[in-house]
Amino acid sequence: MSLLRRQHLGFYIIALLLITGCSKVDYVKVDSPAYLRVFNNLNYEKTLDSKDQEIPFLAMLIDPVMDKDGMPVSTKILGDFLDQRAPYAPPYPSHIGNSTTVNNPEYPGKEDVLVAPVLNGFDLSSWAQIPSGKHRIVFLFRPKNTVPFFELESRLKTKVLIDTTLVLDEKEVYTLNVLQKDYQTKKNGILLRHENFYKLPLSDSLVYVNFYNLSSKGYWEADYTGKGANIGNKGALGDGIRDRMNVFYTLYRKSSTESSLSNYFGKYLGELKRNTGEPDVSPYYSFPLFADPLSDGIHTDIWQRLDLLAPGMDPSSKPYTGIQKETDNNWAPISCFANGTLPLDIIRGDENYVLLPNMIVNIHSGVYKSRSFATVNTIEIVNGKAYLTTIQRKYAAPIYK
Amino acid sequence: MSAKLSLKTLLFHLPILLLLFFAACKNDDLEMVKENENIRAGADFIKNNYQLSLFSAAIEKAGMYDQLNGAGPFTFLAPSDAAFNAMGILRASDFDKMNRDSLKSLVQRHVLNRRVILQDIPVNGVDVRYATLAGTQVYTSLASNFRGDPTQVINNLFYDGAFVERKDVQLTNGSLQLLNKVMKYDSGTVQDWLKKQPQYSIFVAGLKKFGLWDKLATPGPFTVFAPTNAALTTGGITAAVMDALVPSAYNGNRLFGGYILEGKHFFISDVQVFSAFGSETAYLKELENDTWCTQLSVTQANDQSLRYALRLKKARTGFSYTTSSGGNTSMVTVDYLTDNGVVHSSTGVIAKLADARK
Repeated sequence: MSLLRRQHLGFYIIALLLITGCSKVDYVKVDSPAYLRVFNNLNYEKTLDSKDQEIPFLAMLIDPVMDKDGMPVSTKILGDFLDQRAPYAPPYPSHIGNSTTVNNPEYPGKEDVLVAPVLNGFDLSSWAQIPSGKHRIVFLFRPKNTVPFFELESRLKTKVLIDTTLVLDEKEVYTLNVLQKDYQTKKNGILLRHENFYKLPLSDSLVYVNFYNLSSKGYWEADYTGKGANIGNKGALGDGIRDRMNVFYTLYRKSSTESSLSNYFGKYLGELKRNTGEPDVSPYYSFPLFADPLSDGIHTDIWQRLDLLAPGMDPSSKPYTGIQKETDNNWAPISCFANGTLPLDIIRGDENYVLLPNMIVNIHSGVYKSRSFATVNTIEIVNGKAYLTTIQRKYAAPIYK
Repeated sequence: MSAKLSLKTLLFHLPILLLLFFAACKNDDLEMVKENENIRAGADFIKNNYQLSLFSAAIEKAGMYDQLNGAGPFTFLAPSDAAFNAMGILRASDFDKMNRDSLKSLVQRHVLNRRVILQDIPVNGVDVRYATLAGTQVYTSLASNFRGDPTQVINNLFYDGAFVERKDVQLTNGSLQLLNKVMKYDSGTVQDWLKKQPQYSIFVAGLKKFGLWDKLATPGPFTVFAPTNAALTTGGITAAVMDALVPSAYNGNRLFGGYILEGKHFFISDVQVFSAFGSETAYLKELENDTWCTQLSVTQANDQSLRYALRLKKARTGFSYTTSSGGNTSMVTVDYLTDNGVVHSSTGVIAKLADARK
């Protein structure tokens, strides 16, 4: 009898397992994808002049369905709560685990979407998969709250910033910037950049960086306090830079500006032109990862200082001191140090720089607790602010002993 | 064996039984936590507050006493007696001169239909709007900290340009904020408002003459610093001069355009709020198609009242101004809110005829 019961029980368990074990899993898949990352470059400061303007807190709709009155009712892809971009766009979507707000500093950022795979060694998990082909893309202003876009009142869903189409090719990597084209007329636009870093033969022992000046026309000529150049820690860059600048770099050891590496002081990198219209990729410049002769070839603690100087000036001949925040738009220094929030050791007379994270990624990899990796970087200057985007390669997983 | 055991058990439990025995005694002196009965509902609280006697009288005369003592929740933006006195309302009987519906609407405009305390208002929020019982909105601006430094808390709070002298008085049916002036609102456009006020007739005639009048009926928003007839007369622009004025001989933008900020919605307090965010203590705006600028600056007196000064600057940089200046030292005749902007009365002119002659 008891044997029979046990057999029954066994039967039920097996039946239960069989029934629950079979469920069809629908994997989300994007056919012939292109890879897209979107930044909202419409930064602003709270000033009296900007008080009555629309706040650039956006919703991005790709291939939206509009009703007969032009009211969006649904969309294939939604990038909601698109806030001003953060100073640092990390090589992997770290925002999602590091904040408690819905405000998204980039797309995909915190969105739960399929992301790009590792392409030619580069970790592209900050790029979203979008079906390739022609798309209608609409950016709308939305109120700064936590209500999802399609649950907003109708009157709040009609403020279109830009409504346009773009064509994305299969398995290509794109960066889309929403930006202001003219500071006086407040004309906005978008700039789609077809990235090429994953096609270039880049060495993993050199750190690469390229530059864009996506500032709006007339920003640097505008009034200093009127544009809020003095608000926040924007250093000399807050006033904006001229439309044509030269970039110099210096590499330092230690956490101060005392110990530059002798071979890497004030070296010319290249030219930087203001450009909000052409989607060209700027050339990549490089410096060695282990430029410091004292480093062991595994880890290095060098950091980078960039000086944007008007043509005709160089870091040793500039007629300004490091405490000047108003440099006639001729000089703006950027320090890429630590995680971009730690202040440098205070040195008298060196206060007007903008702080960004170090371009070199130091992380536990293999048996080395701290190992330095070269990266590919993009620095974008937008209306008095600087933004660093870092792309890194896949690296070996840590081995804990 | 069994009896022995039960006795042993009894002895064992005796202390507990004794404890129960004594605890069972009735204890009348036991102190219970009593709810504080001292908190009053909104209208009662206002009535019992000597600083708010005029607002209380307004509530009673508007017949809203019971409603405002009701469940709510409400936020009372209560102007102090000093605020009413500044407007010329010195005693409760002065409200009798007012139309009862206007009085009711005035009270309703000073009560929000929800409980708002300081921590509900977004940090450094500007023009945050809350609905009033009258169906209108109040513009709330809060300068939370000085120069964006979270360690330097200032919490300067303004409703429609009125400074909050005392924040977050807790009531059973909401909260109360004490204002240093009465909030003003008239439905209609800036143009409608100016049309109704005879003391700006010369200014209105000037706007009409130079083609600046019609735009004041458009959605805007506009901030208008309206010089009174007395101010214009002192500045040499009398009604007779205005009638005889040939528009083609003068630059209308410099003569009258400088009083209008287009696309801006400024209470006088806004300049004060924004000076806390950055170091912006004055606002400069170029006139249309001109290098001359309107300069608005605001200073705060010890009693927290704000006074503004308006000047016409001949270039954005430098110190070249016209010889006369506008402004208002009284906080009573500024911050007139309308549906498409704000009007501030000016007791001086920023441009005389000579400044604008072509």
